[in-house]
Amino acid sequence: MVSAEVLGPEGATVLLLGNEAIARGALEAGLGFAAAYPGTPSTEIVETLSYAARKLGIYVEWSTNEKVALESAFAASISGVRALAAMKHVGLNVAADAFMSISYTGVRAGLLVVSAEDPSMWSSQNEQDNRYYGLMGYVPVFEPSSPQEAKDMAKAAFDFSEALETPVLMTPTTRVSHTRGPVTLGKLMPGKPLGDFSRNPERYTLIPAHARLRRKAMIERWLRVKEEVEKLPFNTIEGTSKIAIVASGISYSYVKEATERLGIDATIVKIGTPVPVPRKLLLKALSDATKVLVVEELEPIVEQQVKSIISEEGLNVEVHGKDYIGFEGEMTLDRVARALLEFSGRSPTEIPWKPLRPVQIELPPRPPAMCPGCPHRATYYTLRRAVNSLRVKAIYSGDIGCYSLGVLPPFREQDTILEMGGSVGAANGFSEVNKDKVVIAIVGDSTFYHAALPALANAVYNRHPMLVLVMDNRVTAMTGEQPNPSTGVNALGEPTTPIPIESVARGLGVEKVVVFDPYNTREAFNSLREALRYVIEEKKPAVAVARRACSLYIDRMARRMGYETPLYAVVEDKCTACGVCYNAFTCPAIMVKDDGKAWIDPDLCTGCGVCAQICPFNAIIKVREGSPEWYKLWF
Amino acid sequence: MPRRLSILLTGVGGQGIITLASTIAKAALLHGEKALVAETHGLSQRGGSVEVHLRMGNVYSPLIAPGDADVVLGLELIEAARKAHYTSENGIILTADIILRPAVPGVKVPSREELLNAIEEATGRKPLLVPARELALKAGGTIYSNMVMFGALLATGRLEGFVDRSDAEKVIGSLRKSENNLKAFKLGFDYCRSACTS
Repeated sequence: MVSAEVLGPEGATVLLLGNEAIARGALEAGLGFAAAYPGTPSTEIVETLSYAARKLGIYVEWSTNEKVALESAFAASISGVRALAAMKHVGLNVAADAFMSISYTGVRAGLLVVSAEDPSMWSSQNEQDNRYYGLMGYVPVFEPSSPQEAKDMAKAAFDFSEALETPVLMTPTTRVSHTRGPVTLGKLMPGKPLGDFSRNPERYTLIPAHARLRRKAMIERWLRVKEEVEKLPFNTIEGTSKIAIVASGISYSYVKEATERLGIDATIVKIGTPVPVPRKLLLKALSDATKVLVVEELEPIVEQQVKSIISEEGLNVEVHGKDYIGFEGEMTLDRVARALLEFSGRSPTEIPWKPLRPVQIELPPRPPAMCPGCPHRATYYTLRRAVNSLRVKAIYSGDIGCYSLGVLPPFREQDTILEMGGSVGAANGFSEVNKDKVVIAIVGDSTFYHAALPALANAVYNRHPMLVLVMDNRVTAMTGEQPNPSTGVNALGEPTTPIPIESVARGLGVEKVVVFDPYNTREAFNSLREALRYVIEEKKPAVAVARRACSLYIDRMARRMGYETPLYAVVEDKCTACGVCYNAFTCPAIMVKDDGKAWIDPDLCTGCGVCAQICPFNAIIKVREGSPEWYKLWF
Repeated sequence: MPRRLSILLTGVGGQGIITLASTIAKAALLHGEKALVAETHGLSQRGGSVEVHLRMGNVYSPLIAPGDADVVLGLELIEAARKAHYTSENGIILTADIILRPAVPGVKVPSREELLNAIEEATGRKPLLVPARELALKAGGTIYSNMVMFGALLATGRLEGFVDRSDAEKVIGSLRKSENNLKAFKLGFDYCRSACTS
């Protein structure tokens, strides 16, 4: 949910999420075009911009993947329209090919690439430091320390980009992107959505002869970038002392609080541009220092640059960083406090806060779970039974989405999870070298369009037997139900033509395609058996589409509109306490009572009715009919 | 002495914790205080344990260090127990008297008494309990439990100097279903004014 304050008047101080602040900064900078693929912790940037788009007349889209988003934004930029592409950190891997080339061509109107980093992997498969992409691609990197600075930086990044004709990479980490804080607003300056592209093949067509010239231009540009970052207000020095602490991005906020509360006297060098670091400013700050501690999340990007500057200048300063602060996980106040005390020769026992003893009883784990009524749960439940009925063993090649939760008990139907689209890609290899098992690639609708299409074409053409099971819940659910080509609306909620997954599969030459409703367990079982049998007997790929909209999405709409959902309940006398519904199906709406019998929480039941079909004793019945409008919400 | 207040909100994804934290933060902002809210989004939100760090006053770090929370505010008992050690020396544990069973097959859930005893044993303080579910039902539904807890929190006096009642009511009044939310807030406040002393 986007805060309406994001479009508030100049001068107002409002509470904004870091990502909303980035969007606001872009809107103050004359943004005209924005494209993104959703991914935590980046999603709210373009979600906010799509909210603003209709009011301000700019163009905003959810693209099919990050590469497409960045290429589109690039085209807008070199046509003279200020543009933004946003993604999560691993999204930049997908867009990396375009990213590296865009640094060669350079840009025309400001181009800001936002890659939201996720140290601690709160919602990601890895933690990687995309500031390396800046070093690798000669692209300046801006790293904000707070929501306010995120807004100011986003705004400044467009001017910087345009003045130097360079793309700018901004890398907020989770605790900036997903922290709400006070932000004082500047003037809204919506940009023009239309541009005027002029041909310039020597610059924009990277054939080898041109690329060699562009590489030279890029390296020359980098020298100017190094000069210009010195002038930005995001790099600052506070205090003078023999001890210096250099802190980049959010780490500055921890250092600021820790030094205050621990009474540590140090020169604090705040770094807002970790790539390239402001050399002159650092030399000034370090001129009186005897030792330096670099505090930054993830990799020693600033630390290594500081070490190289010190060595180049022949300074007698001791430089530390990761040896005190560590590599893994996000920064915390505790981590910084410990490192600062140790670094300044004091004892960690001086930390003024002391954790109490954790409770000594065993607490049940509470991992994330598929929601009540989630169609994925129904599909997983039936898939396992369909596989068992054929007396085969399966390899479940998994993917990124809410359905990744199928890795957890009781389902355990994800044997590998790598990256977006990896399910179908890996299934190509699995099927070739594991002839005694049936290979099932499980992928969501959005992920299917994102990166699974080339892998499916490969499976058809190279004849790899596999079942590609597309869990089509019609929206990009995990990141907050953004539309994708299965949905039928665009980022602004305007209708567009959905692309049915079964048509894509047939178009790519898949000869066996089944579509079923996971809420109908018999239909689902028969369809899955039929498709699996085809894969086993014909030794060719088949596609099964499990089509049912995200129950969270429908339930939220129903509640908003005031439509009554159907309600199911357990018939006390018929329930034998067998536990199938709460242990094998595990709908969170189904509770277990002290006597082992099931009870359905009417507050949580979404009325999907699957539990009534799987109960071996017919002990679950519909006790309230849903309103006709509720049935019409499903798409 | 710089003033700061740290509240660790803990509960289960879907209970309205983010809304609760940002409502308190907006009220603080209205009062002229800086406020930071560090949230949990994405995958971890789906029915899993959720914690939100809310800090006000002279603060920079968005995260609360273990042992530095003036209040551990639970929307659920198991989750309150899980984070009870974040409480500071003079801090309180204020929690909804609600237990939600994790959707994990064969999971063993401690009883209410086991949880309360364990919290008291480990932290040396009794958690302040609020019948949030019952009060929320009076306000129109269990989804209002979060605002019950806001009312209860205000009644403990811990927000003094950072949020006052009129700030709170102004912000809650701007939410959707503001009547229900305001009623829940008042019920929580009235309950805690007599029952939660700390």
